[in-house]
Amino acid sequence: MSLLAASNLTKRYRRGGKTVIAVDDVSFHIEPGETLALAGPSGSGKSTIARLALRLIEPDAGRIEFEGGDFLALRGATLRARRARLQMVFQDPLAAFNPRATVARALDDPLRIHGIASRGERPRRIAELLERVGLPADLASRAVHEISGGQRQRVAIARAIATKPSLIVLDEAVSALDVSVRGQILELLLDLQREQKIAYLFISHDLGVVRAVAHRIILLDAGRIAESGEARAVVDAPRSAIGKALVAAAPRLDRSIRHNAP
Amino acid sequence: MTVLASIGELTVTYRRDGGEVTALRSVSLDIMAGERLAIIGESGSGKSTLALAIAELLPSSSADGRIEWPGLGRTPLLGRDIGFVFQDPSASLDPVMTIGKQIAEVARAHLGLTWSQAYAKARTLLERIRLPDPDSALQAFPHQLSGGQKQRVAIAAAIAAGPKLLIADEATSALDTIVQAEIVALIRRLVAEDGMTLLFISHDIALAAELAERIAVFRHGRLVELGPTARIVGAPTQAYTRMLLDAHIGLDAAPLLDRAGLRS
Amino acid sequence: MSPLRRFLRAPEAVAGAILLSALMAMALSASLLFPSDPQAIAGPALLPPFQDWSLPLGTDRLGRDVLAELFHGARTSLAVGLAAAAASLAIGAVVGTLAGFAGGLVDEVLMRITDAFQTVPGFLLALAFVSVVGPSLGAVVIAIALGTWTGPARIARAEVLSIRERDYVASARAIGMHPLEIAFREVLPNALPPVLAMSSVIVAAAILTEAALSFLGLGDPNRVTWGGMIAEGRTVLRTAPFLSIVPGMALVLTVLGVYLAGEGIVETTAVRRGLS
Repeated sequence: MSLLAASNLTKRYRRGGKTVIAVDDVSFHIEPGETLALAGPSGSGKSTIARLALRLIEPDAGRIEFEGGDFLALRGATLRARRARLQMVFQDPLAAFNPRATVARALDDPLRIHGIASRGERPRRIAELLERVGLPADLASRAVHEISGGQRQRVAIARAIATKPSLIVLDEAVSALDVSVRGQILELLLDLQREQKIAYLFISHDLGVVRAVAHRIILLDAGRIAESGEARAVVDAPRSAIGKALVAAAPRLDRSIRHNAP
Repeated sequence: MTVLASIGELTVTYRRDGGEVTALRSVSLDIMAGERLAIIGESGSGKSTLALAIAELLPSSSADGRIEWPGLGRTPLLGRDIGFVFQDPSASLDPVMTIGKQIAEVARAHLGLTWSQAYAKARTLLERIRLPDPDSALQAFPHQLSGGQKQRVAIAAAIAAGPKLLIADEATSALDTIVQAEIVALIRRLVAEDGMTLLFISHDIALAAELAERIAVFRHGRLVELGPTARIVGAPTQAYTRMLLDAHIGLDAAPLLDRAGLRS
Repeated sequence: MSPLRRFLRAPEAVAGAILLSALMAMALSASLLFPSDPQAIAGPALLPPFQDWSLPLGTDRLGRDVLAELFHGARTSLAVGLAAAAASLAIGAVVGTLAGFAGGLVDEVLMRITDAFQTVPGFLLALAFVSVVGPSLGAVVIAIALGTWTGPARIARAEVLSIRERDYVASARAIGMHPLEIAFREVLPNALPPVLAMSSVIVAAAILTEAALSFLGLGDPNRVTWGGMIAEGRTVLRTAPFLSIVPGMALVLTVLGVYLAGEGIVETTAVRRGLS
């Protein structure tokens, strides 16, 4: 059984009297421990789908099954409790934290809300989480805006894994990072996936990164699924027009001179 | 080849929270007339500071060193001699002025044209940047355009006065891959047609390598390595440059999934 | 540069701070320097200032010590001004946050109530409230707050509407935080700075409104107030103008002090935010 199965999701926005269909009859499923990538140009609906899957926004039509239950039927406290299993990491790690937050508070929130650890136990759990994402425990007392972008994204990942989720939505989670940091964050995500069998819904416009980390891919164009399949196969030989355009537009680094050089 | 601009021992410091932050440390660099030079680096490398310093957009008190313009023979004027394209076109375009007027104003102010001549020039520019239906686009406002179209208009305004140097500071970073490729192609074409010199500031070494003839790598405010693109990409001498190259995840990269043992 | 040092560099902010400190010193020292009832008769009636050094500012129509009244009046002005502003900002912030965060029907209802309050002149509202409830310090505070909370409410709502769309609010929802906790712990503290920027204007307005109410005889009759003193002096304005001028000057300097100090704080914090 799929971990998450979305069927016929549709989301419309009203903008200046006109109705824009952001997501048009999209169906997909994610298996436990799997990375499914959503890729496409801006305006293709990939971020809208991420927010629909998390129920940060509500679909106009469609169904979402999560861990065997009707996710869209959940309300109030039951929905909030269920959110422990479905987490998110945002693109801009600075915008994703309350400007007043310290690292400790950002990590304390999920532990407290879901009753995962008692008040006395939480500092130790926070230290463990920091250690798990490769950060020193004494970072806890720092303000989130003081630490570096890479550290911040690690804290965001620690916050997301605090509730032991089965699925994390990564919305362009490595796009804003320096390349020297990006590789380490990707490695961390893959480590966590292997250890804790976490599935990822990996939203990205970067086909190179998608090909490197995703099992399967869905290419979106104007709110519809243009193509889907095994990530490497789709990126290596796209069949849809948008797939071909995305592949053609990706910058290529030809380092052949290095090998030819004496 | 003549030198358009010569930067010597340029040091830039900012005041921040009582302390001083050094954004550039004694950078020396010659920009050749007619070349496409890419400045690449990560956050905090000083690459944007360098662009602002060349365009004289920094408060002079914070900069130390010299920038000379042998290829120009005069002190450059932003808009006339230097065209500047910023990362966010929404922030650099005036939201309540028509696109035609914004472009025409640059041409009028620096070329001494009448309004009708300036508008004719703006129309030609809109054609050159391949905006669909240039006649009605003249009367359009920025919010009616997509992000990529706005960046095209920003480029048109930047080159309206026929500058010698075009500086593009992360001009494609906010755009998706497809639009980014289109903007890069547009910049390449315009620079070639007008014989402009291009300073292309980017964090993306692969993108820079596709466009530039020379690459300068910056880190922590210092110039780490400078050379022809093929040499920088093919045989870098600095470990940092090699790290940047290795960190690039291209369409042919070995999937990390396999290394992590996550492929079933 | 620290915000405090920047504050101390602005001359008008320093002037405001000095005026405010003087006012606070007056309010705090009132019962130490003038332990007896300021409304008790202390000497001959209508003694002009600077005649008798035991009564430096003279006496009023009933022979009460004007200086003692001035000190005790500072207490009332300051207490009412601060309490009314605090009440007004608190009501405004809560209403604005709920309206902006909840949206929909809640927003609609709360904002129409705000409209209703805003269309009635604040002073008229205060006048009506005190006449119905009866004059007391608490009633005056509530009366003033009733007329001034709408400004903070509108500003808080506008801020909340923009903050509501930020990623960190989405992040708080994604970890399952209760909506009320999101509204009051994540959103409200970040919406407060522009609301607090209004506080100096509200404190100043509250002090003036209190004085006006007292002038009309709607202040707390058991307390000395500057407005009451001016009203007292009005009947002998030609023969003993100092009885109106002294509390009038005190009122002007206080409002000026509050305003200048408040502006100074807003300016220095604005610069700090601009830099970061």
